[in-house]
Amino acid sequence: YSQSSSVSGNVTSADDGYGLPGVNVIEKGTTNGTVTDFDGNYSLNVENSNAILVFSYIGFTTQEIPINGASVINATMTEDATALEEVVLVGYGTQIKREVTGSVQTVKVAELADIPVTQVTQKLQGQLAGVQINQTTGKPGEGINVRIRGQLSISGGSDPLYVVDGFPIAGNINTLNPAEIESISVLKDAASTSLYGSRAANGVVLVTTKQGVPGQTNVSFNVSTGIQNVPERGRIDMMDAVEFAQFKKEYYEDQGDPVPEIFQNPSQYEGQTNDWYDAMLRTAPQSIYSLAVSSSNEKFRSSMIAGFTDRTGVVLGSDWRQYTLRANLNYNLSDKVEIGLNVAPSWVIDRTPRTDGTRGTGILFNALHTWPIMPIYNEDGTRTEFNRFPAETGNIFAYANWLNSAERIKDETRNLNLLSNAYMEWRPIEGLSIRSSLNAEFYRERYEYFSPTNATSAINRPVPTNNQGVWDNRDTFSWLNENIATYNKSYGEHNFSLLGGFAFQKFRLDRNRLEASNFADDRLPVVQGAADINRNGTFDQIEENTLVSAFSRLTYNYMGKYLFTASIRSDGSSRFGSENRWGTFPSVSAGWVVSDESFLENSETISLMKIRGSYGVTGNNNIGNYTQYALVGNEQFGRTVNGVFGDTFAQGAAVNSLSNPNLGWETTKQFDIGLDLSLFNDRVSFIYDYYTKNTTNLLFNIQVPRESGFSNFSDNIGEIKFWGHEFSLNTVNTTGKFRWTTSANISFNRNEVVALADGIDQVFGPSGWHITQVGQPFAQFYGHLSDGVYLNQQDLDNSPQVPGRSTVGSIKLIDVNGDGVITRGGIDDDRAITGNPFPDFTYGITNRVTYGNWDFSVVGTGSQGNELLVRHLYSTTNLDGVFNLLDDVKYRFRSVENPGRGFYGTTVGGGNVTGIERDWINDRFVADASYFNIRNITLGYTIPSLDKYFKSARIYGSIQNVHIFTKYWGGPNPEISVQNNGQGDGGNLEPGVDISGYPVPRIFNIGLNLNF
Amino acid sequence: VPTFFQTEEDFTQAINATYEPLRNMYNLSKNYLTEMSSDNTYYARNTAFGATEQQEDIADHAIPSDNGITANVHVQNVYRDLYSIIARANQILVTIDEADFDAGVKANIKGQALFLRAFSYFDLVQLFGSVPMHLEPVVDREGAALPLSTSDAIYAQIIEDAQASIPLLPPKSAQQPGRVTSGAARTLLANVHIVRQEWAQAETLLKEVVSSNEYMLMPNYEDAFSGNSVNKNNSESVFEVQYREGSDGLQSSFMYQFLPRPIEADEVGALFGTSDAQPINGEGNNIPTPDIIAAYEDGDLREDASIMYIELRESFWNDGVYPIIKKYVEQHALHFNHGVNFPVYRYAEVLLFLAEALHEQGKDGEAITYLNQVRTRAGLGAHTGDLGEAIFNERRVELAFENKRWFDLVRTGRAIDVITAFGNRVFATPNDYYYPVGAEPRGNAFSNITELYALPASESELNPNF
Repeated sequence: YSQSSSVSGNVTSADDGYGLPGVNVIEKGTTNGTVTDFDGNYSLNVENSNAILVFSYIGFTTQEIPINGASVINATMTEDATALEEVVLVGYGTQIKREVTGSVQTVKVAELADIPVTQVTQKLQGQLAGVQINQTTGKPGEGINVRIRGQLSISGGSDPLYVVDGFPIAGNINTLNPAEIESISVLKDAASTSLYGSRAANGVVLVTTKQGVPGQTNVSFNVSTGIQNVPERGRIDMMDAVEFAQFKKEYYEDQGDPVPEIFQNPSQYEGQTNDWYDAMLRTAPQSIYSLAVSSSNEKFRSSMIAGFTDRTGVVLGSDWRQYTLRANLNYNLSDKVEIGLNVAPSWVIDRTPRTDGTRGTGILFNALHTWPIMPIYNEDGTRTEFNRFPAETGNIFAYANWLNSAERIKDETRNLNLLSNAYMEWRPIEGLSIRSSLNAEFYRERYEYFSPTNATSAINRPVPTNNQGVWDNRDTFSWLNENIATYNKSYGEHNFSLLGGFAFQKFRLDRNRLEASNFADDRLPVVQGAADINRNGTFDQIEENTLVSAFSRLTYNYMGKYLFTASIRSDGSSRFGSENRWGTFPSVSAGWVVSDESFLENSETISLMKIRGSYGVTGNNNIGNYTQYALVGNEQFGRTVNGVFGDTFAQGAAVNSLSNPNLGWETTKQFDIGLDLSLFNDRVSFIYDYYTKNTTNLLFNIQVPRESGFSNFSDNIGEIKFWGHEFSLNTVNTTGKFRWTTSANISFNRNEVVALADGIDQVFGPSGWHITQVGQPFAQFYGHLSDGVYLNQQDLDNSPQVPGRSTVGSIKLIDVNGDGVITRGGIDDDRAITGNPFPDFTYGITNRVTYGNWDFSVVGTGSQGNELLVRHLYSTTNLDGVFNLLDDVKYRFRSVENPGRGFYGTTVGGGNVTGIERDWINDRFVADASYFNIRNITLGYTIPSLDKYFKSARIYGSIQNVHIFTKYWGGPNPEISVQNNGQGDGGNLEPGVDISGYPVPRIFNIGLNLNF
Repeated sequence: VPTFFQTEEDFTQAINATYEPLRNMYNLSKNYLTEMSSDNTYYARNTAFGATEQQEDIADHAIPSDNGITANVHVQNVYRDLYSIIARANQILVTIDEADFDAGVKANIKGQALFLRAFSYFDLVQLFGSVPMHLEPVVDREGAALPLSTSDAIYAQIIEDAQASIPLLPPKSAQQPGRVTSGAARTLLANVHIVRQEWAQAETLLKEVVSSNEYMLMPNYEDAFSGNSVNKNNSESVFEVQYREGSDGLQSSFMYQFLPRPIEADEVGALFGTSDAQPINGEGNNIPTPDIIAAYEDGDLREDASIMYIELRESFWNDGVYPIIKKYVEQHALHFNHGVNFPVYRYAEVLLFLAEALHEQGKDGEAITYLNQVRTRAGLGAHTGDLGEAIFNERRVELAFENKRWFDLVRTGRAIDVITAFGNRVFATPNDYYYPVGAEPRGNAFSNITELYALPASESELNPNF
């Protein structure tokens, strides 16, 4: 006999006696249950007053208490020594954290839920030792650069491998909605990663998405909304209208030329500055919504989540919208068979004008150096279309109105990403599981660009001009089949786990690009309306690659304190030459839980002490497809090789690359030793790792002399050595009602080039701004060394000069090779290393405080000793007065009597003199970009017991990118790294370049979480 | 060795691609290295503009060089383009004999490849002296960098290739217009012999060209040059670089480089008739000097056909009225996109070569008949004074702006003297040479006058042999 009744009570922690929020309370054998509120109170209608209540909470021993007709059941939860053994994700499975022998760090994404960013990787900033995450541009949805342990390759990729629910994704990790993520593990050492073999050299990031929790039905709704703006701090200090007019006036006076009328009276521009850069920016809203439903019983678990993010960009004309859905379903067919299906479509519409990049291609750069006396608006308040002063004013580049460029040019990418996987797991006998999965990723990107006749991003192009359009569509499809057997067995205190599997993966890209111009009508931006198809920009592309793998891992421990793991993987990749297609990647690791030994077992101080070490080999095959072959095409060096004879078109074909049948794996051998220490009942936990890595056979498309008819040869060359120290410290500073925790980490990463190819001791970056040289760290800044200006005739006469170009007041460069003249070009000229883009150390610190219903957290990240190349100086300190200039240029050399600060040179002599300062890149372009960024501050309040309406509710406010402490003067973002193509990451040989890009906004945000 | 090229169609595509670098080279850098380096043209200084020293250094004979190496970008461009031609020709030559297709077509393709390889090495040896000599396709990194060959060895190869190409190539009447012919090959080989002062060999080859009856002078001088879309490969044309207007990437734009600046959109539009004219800044290149203008005799019809004047209202120089090269000014549709071909060899040059070869062998009477064919069309009577000088001067005006002058100065040993004197005139009267009042030539102008160019630094960084 049974009957329904109501039970309530309070759940407390045995540790400190305070109420425990979030404890699951379930009527055993049913799906009926609830969760305790913030004070640990619960109330539940049970169907059977003689049922048993199950209290469960992560990290605590699950308790079962019979109701026996009572109406009040209180519970005291004790921390569970074994449940405390957090489970962490490792390659192809999970492992008890205590038994992990590799270097693995896990982040609980729930703790980062309030950070109002749209990319998963942004949330991880500052959380992980040895993982440097830079936001290289503020473009919505773009530009997060992740480097694990400073990994670099010359031309192979350096991004880590992202594995989502077991599937290594080929597309863009940023299409994943952060709200879908349960946890993230970062595998750093070779023992942890080598089971991913050929793609693991850059580290592996494992992502698991939210699954249904057994026995619960949850509905949660999250909304946050905020405004973004670009802080004043860090903006480049350019001349205002008066200063600029004054500069131009002096320019003509110093040359002894008449001053053009518009510059004769600089003070007339008082209050008339047109700040073009500022005008490109705006305060912009953003909103993030997600709705999640999960429901489970013993047979079936489901989790579904829908998300919508609407972010308007802080630069005119930019906005980003993402729609996501995910359904994770698991079903137990029987005790022995489980099947599952995950489907996650996402849709992104990204409109961002070409903001990043150099003069003429990046409109923010264009805005930055537009003369401040050029009007943005006409007197009637409408925008100007085109600004031009007479040539006698030196206005040699006329400008379109960049605000129009931002808004009128369509620059839109629409991505559809469909990630799905299905698996079946069979557990025929105790301890054995056989799992087969099929994963598929379909990614479609449609890019559309249309520049109408009334806008341009080019400089010196009058509008109206020709219209032009680009359509670029890519479909990528990849599938992976994995078949894995795992067997766990214990003989007494000997615990074994054996894993074996094989996998097949295939990738295909289909791309077509169409470039056309001279459309009859701006309102018909369709290709049939175009008069001209640009043959160079119009093409089809199909690429495929295949990977076949077999892998195995043995894990053994004795009594849980002597730990040992060995693994091996063998991969065959279609990307390599016929002679070197297969690679084998072994690893071993061992650990010793010292604190489990009798002499420490009863220590009051040390709750965990583990020493671990590992060694392993990983590979890198990120070189693009078909590089091993000599290719024949109708294009070489960026030009069509087609011909014309008379008026007759003639198809051409040329061998445009060299083959290398020996092209093979880039391999990294890594050694890691680490210490895990927890003290004072886990109030203090500490992790230390030291690692060394040697990357050999680097994949490099090395330059060859053009006398060969080719520019490059794909080869395996050289060796780079990496080493570093990583420290993480987590402390619980206070417990109880006022709980304060701190987590901090710091990493020191170093690298050195040990060897390049035979006869090659250095390679230059593609733009000549960097050198990678044996015996030095990778990709150092390279250029002339400067020593002020030639202060007078005597100084000039007594110093080495650039023949025919140096004058009194021009930049003075150092004669590095000591031959008495300053030259540029060739190996033995006067250039030298001028700086280092890599930091001495990077660090992160997070503090969390809860007080009653209030919670507060501060996340900070920093980097010390890294430098940036302030590339925009070639325009913003151009002494010819062609562009607006850095404010500091007003302190330039004007005469022997008035040398200014002896830094910027004379304007007299024109490009022949001033060009050296501007075009011969030198150490003035290199700036210290050390910073500490208060990334996020969040204050939250949990609304107590309104359980009639919802299980829990929380409101919070947060500020993202609160403040950056830095001396960097080259722009607002000390994390920037933009190449002149404006596409973000500037290539491995050319890191740390600031050409001026989309600024990273500050975001003021408020949010609400509701759980039903 | 790649195995892609097997069929007639494959080899046809391969030979088509071998011509391609000529388009790039004649569109920009070769004009600076072989015309603006002479006294025929100079740049028009734009004092508001910097960053043009790459061109200025060439015109001013002030190219920074160190141990025979220079970073000048135009030197690098021409070097790269010539070796691209050579590499593509080598890909053809290494396997074409084994390929199985129509013998006549095969001979034609092979002849074109041999011609283009010889032509490229001929430019290289004239520009640089000693260069690496690749005669087979490069297949690996080690083979990419060769030691320098002597100019004698290179000339021997040029002569061998050019001779071999003559019987393989059809005459102009049997060849697709625009491709090289047996007549072009004979002219090339004759040019080689003239540079080497092997006058008799040159005479034989040139007479074969004349007697082939494949060529004649166009009645009007100005019709000898390609229009934008018409008059290409006309009866006077022995070989010209082929361009086509449009968006196929086959167009030329060199005439835009030859305009003084700053020039306004409407001024460009008025000149070319384009619908989307844009202003151009920077510095004008290949601006005819007062020297070349003075070199035309009174009544020479070629002066007005070769040089015209335009007025730039934003110019800093005097009244802004500049001479420009008229030969290549043709109406076309879109900015920076014309289809004018660039002449490499014209029949007029065959006649002048022949006159020179004959004169050098003392056959002045015969020489004069060929010289007079050229002069008659130009509306001029018999020459006066020394015949050798007359032929030399005739070449200057007849072939002005066709990238002949610098090589003529070098091969006749006059380069150092002529350019030194030219430099002195520029320094003495800079305003005559397009410097605005008050502006001076650069201090290092005309300080490094040499007959050969230094090798590109970008190559020396990668080739351990130089």
